[in-house]
Amino acid sequence: MFEGLTHFFGAIVTMATWSTLFSVAWATLLGIAVGMLPGLTATLGLALLTTLTFKLAAGDAILILIAMYVGAIYGGSRSAILLNIPGTPANAATSLDGFPLARRGLAGRAMGISTAGSFLGTIIGMMALAAFAPLLAEWALSFQSYEFFWLAVFGVVVAGRLTAQGDPLKGWVSGFLGLLVAMVGQEAIYAYPRFAYGVTDLAGGFGLLPVLVGVFGFTEVLWVMKNPAYQAVKNATDSVVPRLREVFRHWVTIIRSGLTGTFMGLIPGVGEDMGSWVSYALARNFSRKPEEYGDGSIEGLMSAETGNSAAVPGAIIPVLTLAVPGSAPAAVLLAALFIHGVRPGPLIMIENPTFVFEVVAMVFFASLAILIYGLALTKPLLLILRVPYLKLMPIIFVLCVVGAYAITSRLFDVWVMLGFGVLGFFLRQLGFPMAPLVLGVVLGPILDVNLRRGLVLSDGDLTPFFTRPISAALWILIAITFLLGSDWFVRRMRKLADRVTPKSSEDGKG
Amino acid sequence: MARADLTTSLILIALGVGVLAESLRMPRFENLGINPYTVPGIVPGVLGVVLALFGVIMLVRTLRTRGAAEAAPPPSAEAHPVRLALAIATTLGYGFVLVGWLPFRWATFLFVTGFVVLFESRSAQRRQSLTRIVAFAVLEGAVVALAVGFVFERIFLVRLP
Repeated sequence: MFEGLTHFFGAIVTMATWSTLFSVAWATLLGIAVGMLPGLTATLGLALLTTLTFKLAAGDAILILIAMYVGAIYGGSRSAILLNIPGTPANAATSLDGFPLARRGLAGRAMGISTAGSFLGTIIGMMALAAFAPLLAEWALSFQSYEFFWLAVFGVVVAGRLTAQGDPLKGWVSGFLGLLVAMVGQEAIYAYPRFAYGVTDLAGGFGLLPVLVGVFGFTEVLWVMKNPAYQAVKNATDSVVPRLREVFRHWVTIIRSGLTGTFMGLIPGVGEDMGSWVSYALARNFSRKPEEYGDGSIEGLMSAETGNSAAVPGAIIPVLTLAVPGSAPAAVLLAALFIHGVRPGPLIMIENPTFVFEVVAMVFFASLAILIYGLALTKPLLLILRVPYLKLMPIIFVLCVVGAYAITSRLFDVWVMLGFGVLGFFLRQLGFPMAPLVLGVVLGPILDVNLRRGLVLSDGDLTPFFTRPISAALWILIAITFLLGSDWFVRRMRKLADRVTPKSSEDGKG
Repeated sequence: MARADLTTSLILIALGVGVLAESLRMPRFENLGINPYTVPGIVPGVLGVVLALFGVIMLVRTLRTRGAAEAAPPPSAEAHPVRLALAIATTLGYGFVLVGWLPFRWATFLFVTGFVVLFESRSAQRRQSLTRIVAFAVLEGAVVALAVGFVFERIFLVRLP
């Protein structure tokens, strides 16, 4: 514990140079701008910035990416409050109470609350990152192939369940499609090129970043072009500095939402949007004034913004310790770590013990930056929302093309980006969520290698996959997730419940 | 949505079966005496089965609820079908054709200018004359092409297509 604190302060002291602060300042500001603009998400911002910064030194590049990540999730609250359009999907719950407040002329107050919530949420998540990442890494040292196999399946299944609104089957299809996409190209044991049909480019497989830029960048451009234009902004006339008393009155909500957000971030592939929705739902359940929710509740706004920001450091925990992303933007961060030669995984505390605390310090700097920007630069930041989107979209698309090309200088990567962008657009149109697909692409190689390695270790015996304690816990959780998400099982359960309590049978037929 | 789900489920089944068939055709390296549990086809094969299974579940579910869901209105996507088609056509035209065929800066200039003129002149909220739109679009195209080229090549030291 104290060793961790020493590392943390050590990291802060070594990193507090002008060049670090400058990087944090511009990257967080860029992140806020990306987050504010509807149609530009944190994932897109991170993916494009990864391609831009891959020639920089590892520490600088990761710092810039983390600042962008924290900034974007926070920035999305602005458009949610002022336009009723969440700037990133993570801010959807913010608009429920933020926009009614803005309509009442309290936009400044709402932005102040969202700034305080985001800052405190990031700090709670950051403390969890510092406390749990080393523990999780140590625990994960006992993982063998069996556990990593189940972990990969678990990630796809849980992300599919939680990100598909109302239809888990579509989430699972999306996740398993992602796993299949990862199968294309040379496999890791015999270097046999699967599904390549003699094409050299296909034998190299689909790069994660082109797929990500396609699915979260190009898809998003098409999505924005499909929908009608948004109307611009009211001005905030009231003060944006939140009264401390107002913030501290909600301390229980802040801590609850911070922990909930961190936990949702920790679950593979689930991330900020669920962090904010679940925090919001919990806050309403526990609230003394639940009737205010959806009609400008300060508490609701606070819980949503604390929840999504806390999920950012939460999602970084499994990236560092298991090499499994906690959210879609964290998947980009994971790819960036690999590009820069940092090897995340259970060994990180042994090979690179100070790195985890450097990341904690980076999150800390970024959270300070959003606090300062949020309180000091409110009005200049509103100018970002006046950018006409028809002029912006072609620029974003040009950046998608350059970004896809930049890493390996292959035109093939541009085509992959285009292909996945169009595919992603139509899948999204049909109700398939994109986050499990991306998670599947990341987890595919882990699943592939560990299933086969596990089978070799056990000489074809499937028992260890089911009987080792952590494996057992994981597959039981997977089974429960599948059952709770299947119509058939839920219907059965309802029928059973109806039989036990015949009174409720009227609404039992669904 | 029901018809879309029906098509999707059939595509999924076909994909799953196709992937399974391909996986069975992958080499087993028997001549190398490798452990049979590590053959390259094993994981794709399993994934093919799972996807086909999901397809079947979706098919059954769609057929069951067919009558009820048919009355639902079409998704809001149909609001701007022409705009969407134009957006797909221009972006793919740039990515597949212009980039690689023309030097990057020219390709980008043409795309950005063309995109802005096309969509702003069709916009329902259009307030400017066509000449103004074109003039601003040419300016934007030139600035973007030169700026992106400069930033990527000189500052980030990245090669351009």
